[in-house]
Amino acid sequence: MPKKERGLIELYHDDPERAEFLVFGRKAGPDRRGFLKGAGLASMGAVLGTTIPFSANMPAGLMPAALAETVNEFTFDAKHADMIVHNDRPVNIEAAAHLLDDDVTPFDKHFIRNNGTMPMPMSKADWRLKIDGEVNDELELSYDQLMNEFELVTFRAQLECGGNGRAGFNPLPRGNPWTIGAIGNAEWTGVRLSDILRRAGLKPSAVYTGHYSYDEHLSGDPDRPSISRGGPIDKMMDPHTIIAIKMNGEDIPIEHGYPARVVAPGWAGSVSQKWVTRIWVRDREHDGPGMTGLSYRMPRFPVAPDTEVPHEDMMVMGSMIVKSAITNPVAGAEVRAGAPFEIRGQAWAGDNHVVRMETSIDFGATWQTAELHAPHNRYSWQRWKQTIIPPQAGYYEVWSRATDNQGNSQPMVVPGWNPRGYLNNSCHRIHFTAV
Amino acid sequence: MRKITSTCGAALAALLLAVPLQASAEDRITRLADVPEDFEFYPLPPGEGVEEVYYGCIACHSLRTVTNGGYSRRVWDELLDWMVESQGMMDPEPDIREEMLDYLATYIGEDWEG
Ligand code: HEC
Repeated sequence: MPKKERGLIELYHDDPERAEFLVFGRKAGPDRRGFLKGAGLASMGAVLGTTIPFSANMPAGLMPAALAETVNEFTFDAKHADMIVHNDRPVNIEAAAHLLDDDVTPFDKHFIRNNGTMPMPMSKADWRLKIDGEVNDELELSYDQLMNEFELVTFRAQLECGGNGRAGFNPLPRGNPWTIGAIGNAEWTGVRLSDILRRAGLKPSAVYTGHYSYDEHLSGDPDRPSISRGGPIDKMMDPHTIIAIKMNGEDIPIEHGYPARVVAPGWAGSVSQKWVTRIWVRDREHDGPGMTGLSYRMPRFPVAPDTEVPHEDMMVMGSMIVKSAITNPVAGAEVRAGAPFEIRGQAWAGDNHVVRMETSIDFGATWQTAELHAPHNRYSWQRWKQTIIPPQAGYYEVWSRATDNQGNSQPMVVPGWNPRGYLNNSCHRIHFTAV
Repeated sequence: MRKITSTCGAALAALLLAVPLQASAEDRITRLADVPEDFEFYPLPPGEGVEEVYYGCIACHSLRTVTNGGYSRRVWDELLDWMVESQGMMDPEPDIREEMLDYLATYIGEDWEG
């Protein structure tokens, strides 16, 4: 962030009554107390997370003390300096392509997509996971129970934001303008959600899950979840869908969901609720914030750019799709003409896996097959590499194209525009100069 | 205006601070990179209605949420509704809402580079 924005406290200092009117819509009564016609009372109450019993007495321009106390947000450990910060409130940070080079993504290079506040960490002792809804026995599990009463599994898993690549769509749909770095492949340890759901006993009516967490909605209103998505029961019973309690062998950092989160690899990251506290088993598709309307939904049929698609023509996204990233060279690198050098990267395909990797350095006229490694485990991304020799000095682009086991490959141009800008898997391009 | 900013940003910044609300639709700033960092309502570009948008939108999220992408009037209109109906934003008075929408559609329109 180049500069801090002026915070609410500063605004209140300058012209409190005006700040209050503009922030909360509050107009005080003639005696400069209370809320004229109730204007602003509800929105101020929402931010405070409760009602204000003595609101009629509240002086105009008095910044609620609770607000003054909470503006210093909890901070988290710094990310790598080359991470791209789209936003700091809520926190939305992606990796520059060359930071995706590790086979296991370290904490400081893993993207963060928050919908609500960065919460103060809840202690392991206080944390509980509730399982309710279409189950025979409701459960409330402690951290220790998860650790001791269930089998722990460890594997690498790609988590990718559904909107990764959004910046490529034209017109640009609303939301974070992710380029290619809203993906990570950390090593996760946790308990299979299927084991937990089996202990609770699924009723035949169980078809979907809805996930809830202890972070707060940006408005501070405790009755609004920041986001609450879920997935069909088949995906939730997949042995790779877990309640994770470790990331890369350590406690999950707060920004990635301490002390526990869902990891449902291969699907839009929003299915993998961070800071999870409740799995509500449902008898229908979940309808929490982020499930309905245009959110995390794709048109049922291709649409022209900028089309207003009726909500009933949208369907919830499932698996992410085949994609690859070039992690070396760094964009803009200089290499020697006529000398061999290694280009390499990672490739992944949601629920599928990658079977062929090709690159081009002549704008797609010819393609060469790259060396492709098998995934470390199912759902891990896959390393690919290739040695190339730029024939003469000049400007080049590396293009990379992956093909999955179902025969799907990456388009060279941006695929179908959609209202919220999901699933852009066009070929990644990096330029370099040979000298 | 773009050129001036990159070569003598400080002078332009001083000018803008003196007359922050005067930038007209024609000589507006169209890139986040050109908004002077010491502009009072940074990261918003100067323009009529900037104050209403700044204060009206800062309670819940940073203004980077607003400058990350430029959208058409229709999309901004939908976004304002979404903030009020689903996110708990106060329902602005109709004239203030209109001012906000005019600002957003004019200064953070589809040609805006966030
Ligand atoms: C009461 C709280 C609140 C206020 C006030 C508010 N917003 Fe938001 N806004 C939200 C929330 C919550 C989100 C969703 C954040 C997320 O999921 O990343 C959001 C997201 C956005 C987005 C991103 C859109 C998207 O699809 O993710 C834009 C643009 C935006 N707001 C614009 C505005 C503007 C302009 C204003 C002032 C006129 C405003 N907001 C005021 C709560 C608020």
